[in-house]
Amino acid sequence: VAEHSKSPRYGFLIDASLCIDCRTCMVACSVENKVSMETTRIWIEETGITGSFPNLKRYTVPYHCMHCKDPSCVSACTVGALRRNDDGIVTYEQDICIGCRYCIYACPFEVPNYEWDEPLPLVVKCDMCAVRLGEGQQPACASTCPTGAIRFGKYEDMLEEAHRLINERPDKYVQHVYGEEENGGTATLYISPVPFEELGFPTVGATSTAYSNRLITEGTPMVAGAMLVGMTGIYLTIKHFRDEAARERREAEQEKAAAGVKEES
Amino acid sequence: MMAQKMLHELRTMPRFIYILVLIAGFGLTIGLYRMLVGLGDTTNLSKAFPWGIWISFDLAVVALSGGAFTLAALVYVFQFEDLHPATRPTVLAGLLGYSAVMVILLFDLGRWDRFYNVFLHPNLSSALFEVSWCIAAYSLILIYELSPVLLERSRWSRLLPTIKKYTVPIVIIGVILSTMHQSSLGTMFVIMSPRLHALWSSMLLPVFFLVSSFASGISLVIAGATVSYWLFGRSLKVKTIAKLGWFLPWILGFYLVLKFGELIIANELDLLFSSGVYSLLFWTELIVGIFTPMLLFAFKGARHSRVASLLGAFLVMGGVVLNRFDVTWFSMTPVSGEMYTPHWMEVAILLGVAAALITVYSLVARYFPVYEETASFKQRSEEPARLKQAAAGED
Repeated sequence: VAEHSKSPRYGFLIDASLCIDCRTCMVACSVENKVSMETTRIWIEETGITGSFPNLKRYTVPYHCMHCKDPSCVSACTVGALRRNDDGIVTYEQDICIGCRYCIYACPFEVPNYEWDEPLPLVVKCDMCAVRLGEGQQPACASTCPTGAIRFGKYEDMLEEAHRLINERPDKYVQHVYGEEENGGTATLYISPVPFEELGFPTVGATSTAYSNRLITEGTPMVAGAMLVGMTGIYLTIKHFRDEAARERREAEQEKAAAGVKEES
Repeated sequence: MMAQKMLHELRTMPRFIYILVLIAGFGLTIGLYRMLVGLGDTTNLSKAFPWGIWISFDLAVVALSGGAFTLAALVYVFQFEDLHPATRPTVLAGLLGYSAVMVILLFDLGRWDRFYNVFLHPNLSSALFEVSWCIAAYSLILIYELSPVLLERSRWSRLLPTIKKYTVPIVIIGVILSTMHQSSLGTMFVIMSPRLHALWSSMLLPVFFLVSSFASGISLVIAGATVSYWLFGRSLKVKTIAKLGWFLPWILGFYLVLKFGELIIANELDLLFSSGVYSLLFWTELIVGIFTPMLLFAFKGARHSRVASLLGAFLVMGGVVLNRFDVTWFSMTPVSGEMYTPHWMEVAILLGVAAALITVYSLVARYFPVYEETASFKQRSEEPARLKQAAAGED
């Protein structure tokens, strides 16, 4: 049941302190992947305006698929349209999707988007620009971000860099790498100057919800087998006793009848 | 001649059938419109609430249809033969319930045009895969179980002995498939646990769903028999209904023990009073759907009264339906404060399918030998006096 999934090959490191809300990443993603800006694969989460005048603050951060090590959406998808590939990228095969939208509910990070206004809609989610990766390029969002808020590289490097940054500047960063533990660990990592809840990030436990799901779904065949044996057994046992009782009754009646015949003679 | 006969039939049809057909027609028209324009304009579904009232309805109907496998297990496996007359109406209700669920699901699927991918691309760890496969397979089994009703008076009746011969193994497979999908519907929400309020979220959800489907299924049999007694004069004997009612306090009691046991172990008892609306919903489920009917069906007098057992059955069904709505809708934490209320078209489609369901049930119950126990008084219907006598003797 436990998924011994490989550590992801690639990772994002997204730094909320560097985002200036220019939305270049959203435009780049929309162009690269040919999705409308309404349902783009990347969007901006923010704290809203905080503090009191004149010391106002507002933090923003780009947000997209976390690419979990043990993704809940992959476990939930009815038809296996969502998969985690060997590089640790969670991909979506749009020709298989039946539109049940279970992935949208299952994702603890509230990531998958849906083309609500299409007559035949599809799920919209980040695939790390797999095509660009194949050509040796960075994902569109990372390569266009003007401030370097979105960085992309080897997962181990990104994780190391995240820890280096928050250790070096404990005054600047919250001491938490969001995504290191969340939902069993993810390939997308965040560091932030404000608590992640304030950015609107969901609080997610360290065990993937996919794990508790598998605990049950993968135990089901055993339950079914046990029921088959159990119910057949119950049926045969009850039938046996009932037949036995019927036979005894019949014999008793026959004896009685025989006794009756004897008396008459 | 034929047309005249049909016209006569139509005229003698109860008035409510016409109203139901109208509602069904309207709902299905809206349904076609939804198929053409997509979900955006016709529903209030959103990223925050990707599932709405349709899913709540589906889960409620599946739970109510649970009577079919509960009863099949009691009659064929545990061999409570005196319950046999209740199986036909229940299997019919089950089959129609599942058909309605499948129709609604087709409206719900974004890519309804390739629903068959469920069968071509199974994902074994998905609870929804398990639900859809089991429901599809189980519907075939329900058709098998129901086939004697449809074939009995036709020229295919010579198939009956063969069908009867394989009934027990087929029933056993049906019971397993039902157990699996009734519980998997609960499993579906385990993966969503971060979204579900703690009073409902639990690893035991599959067990809760299974046990409550026994109760709601049996209640539907009781309620259906009583209602059709008033509408068509065809029903089950009070003795059979009383016997069915006898099971309810046990099932409900077991559910109660499980539910509170889980809350105690998870150390969530304080939520019972501290969660505002959620506490209220939870207590409504418990008091209306469990405590009250449990007490009611514990009395022999109540079990033998058509009115009391109808009331009790409605309470249980109401409780289970509320439970399914709570799990699928009311207890879902809204993302970014976004709430969901259904679009009128969602409701119209739902009502349309529900109306079609009740229409077909009524028609089948009218023309086919669904209620065996009272079939005798249909045959005597040429003699109204004896009919009355029979009806009087019935109670």
